[in-house]
Amino acid sequence: MNEEKRSPVTLIIGLILLAYALVLRSQNAALAPEGLVALADFLKTGKTLGTQISVGLWSGIIISVVGIWNLAMPSMTSKFDKLVRAPMAGIGMIIALCYITRFYMEPLIKVWGKQAQPALGWDFSSIFGLNYILLGIILGIVWVNTIGIPAWMQAGVKTARLAMKTAVITLGTMYSITELKYLGGLSILMVASFVMGTAIFVLWLGKLAQIPRPLTGVLAAGLGVCGVSAAVAAAPVVKARGVDMAYSIGMLLLVGVVGLFIFPPVAKMVGMNELQFGAWAGTGILNSAQVAAAALIFDPHTIETLKVAEIFNITRILFLPFIVIMLAIWFAKGEEEAEGKVNVNLGKILVDKFPLFVLGFILMFAFSSTGVFTPKGVELHGKSFYSFKIDEKKEVRTRDLKKIQTMMESGAVTDAKVKAALEKLVADKQITSAEQIPLVLKAQDFTPDKDMKKVFQDADKKVQTKPETMEMMREYMMWLFAFGLIGLGMQITWTTIRQAGGKAAMIGAFTGVTKAVLSFFVCWLLIKGSI
Amino acid sequence: MAEEKATTEDQKKMEERSLSVFASEKKEDITALIIAFVLAALVIITLK
Repeated sequence: MNEEKRSPVTLIIGLILLAYALVLRSQNAALAPEGLVALADFLKTGKTLGTQISVGLWSGIIISVVGIWNLAMPSMTSKFDKLVRAPMAGIGMIIALCYITRFYMEPLIKVWGKQAQPALGWDFSSIFGLNYILLGIILGIVWVNTIGIPAWMQAGVKTARLAMKTAVITLGTMYSITELKYLGGLSILMVASFVMGTAIFVLWLGKLAQIPRPLTGVLAAGLGVCGVSAAVAAAPVVKARGVDMAYSIGMLLLVGVVGLFIFPPVAKMVGMNELQFGAWAGTGILNSAQVAAAALIFDPHTIETLKVAEIFNITRILFLPFIVIMLAIWFAKGEEEAEGKVNVNLGKILVDKFPLFVLGFILMFAFSSTGVFTPKGVELHGKSFYSFKIDEKKEVRTRDLKKIQTMMESGAVTDAKVKAALEKLVADKQITSAEQIPLVLKAQDFTPDKDMKKVFQDADKKVQTKPETMEMMREYMMWLFAFGLIGLGMQITWTTIRQAGGKAAMIGAFTGVTKAVLSFFVCWLLIKGSI
Repeated sequence: MAEEKATTEDQKKMEERSLSVFASEKKEDITALIIAFVLAALVIITLK
């Protein structure tokens, strides 16, 4: 990394982040924080000041220290230098861009959207889903195709995929066993048919269009499984050349990017819920990173859609070995027909190319299932955490308890279990056990009155809690996703997209659209309910 | 032999295309795993 010689860039970026955090923290008029705080009031980001300060302080300190180190010892030869010191300037810059998109661009566009609503009749920021995730990707794409990535930033941009993988592993902490079982069952069914179906379809189309077998092979893996990584994993078994890979990667990125911008607004238009959209994105969008991006664009404020989409995506990745084996057999058969020989070590390829981060995700889920993140007395049920400790704050209001009593006396509740759960609720004034939750919520089915339904929902909400540990993990994860997706945007260059030409692009586009449309109808029409 | 070498070079080029600071995807995955677990440990130590 000779280009980093005596460059003060890392230190400057670190100091800017640090200064920003200190100015926010100081509340000192002389340093003009009032301007920033007033701006935060206008943008309604006051609640995020704590996060802004702590992330700014920590990242600013680390980046500044590395910046001083880079200035003092510019020679970078060791692995540590390559992996930590060299990328730090780019990492700092992307963190700064995360701040700009999350705390300034998104809130500003929201304010504009609301202001323009009376004139336009609709809120453009909400309709187009212009949140910080989408804005970050757009910013990345615009940046790389206009300013370009300077030498000091290049290594930092290359850490984007690492951030995405770390985020997906961290996401493993957010599932409950019930959720994973339900989503796992649903996804295996959907994914098995779509992955295998797409791969076979592409192999058939490739033969029909007389595309070289190596290119057809990588396209089948990329379009069937999870985009670029799958194409890379399948390359050795079908003896793909660099040019085949360049075409495939270009095409996969192009189809993925188009999907990323089209999926969320289409889903909003037809009124898909988080389960339907997560399943659709996880099945229909080609590239792993773009699946996460689409889910976060659809719903950036809760992570429910992301959780569904990632389970589908991970199930899809788990199919990678089967696709590689299938392609190896298909290719060997073709070679035999051409009287050639195929000499690849299939076992080694499977072990070498299997994405370990998927195992990391499973490991993290197992780790968090031990309850290590949840405080004592807090339990995860469905998608929420509950604490049943008797507390006045959790009590249902007296007049609502009376309403429940009256409802039971009227004989409206015919289910004995629901009735018993409600009697217990009236006696204890709050929900006191996990078994009681579904029964209290089920009581809504016995009344048409909206206010009464809300009483049951509120009783459930009152015992819900948000453990600080989980909130912190979630916050880390969102930063990692935001970081990774700005970096992802910065990897989408016109050159890559231009490479997606010829017959391969036709097959890619045709298959991508078919898969997207088919999976849309399956998810929209067949998946009912929510998680 | 020459063909095999060319394939390996192609493979290297394409891994470079997938844009990572790591020499292989496996190393990247292991690093992600370590970072995720270190973050988790820090959260547990500081908050629980």
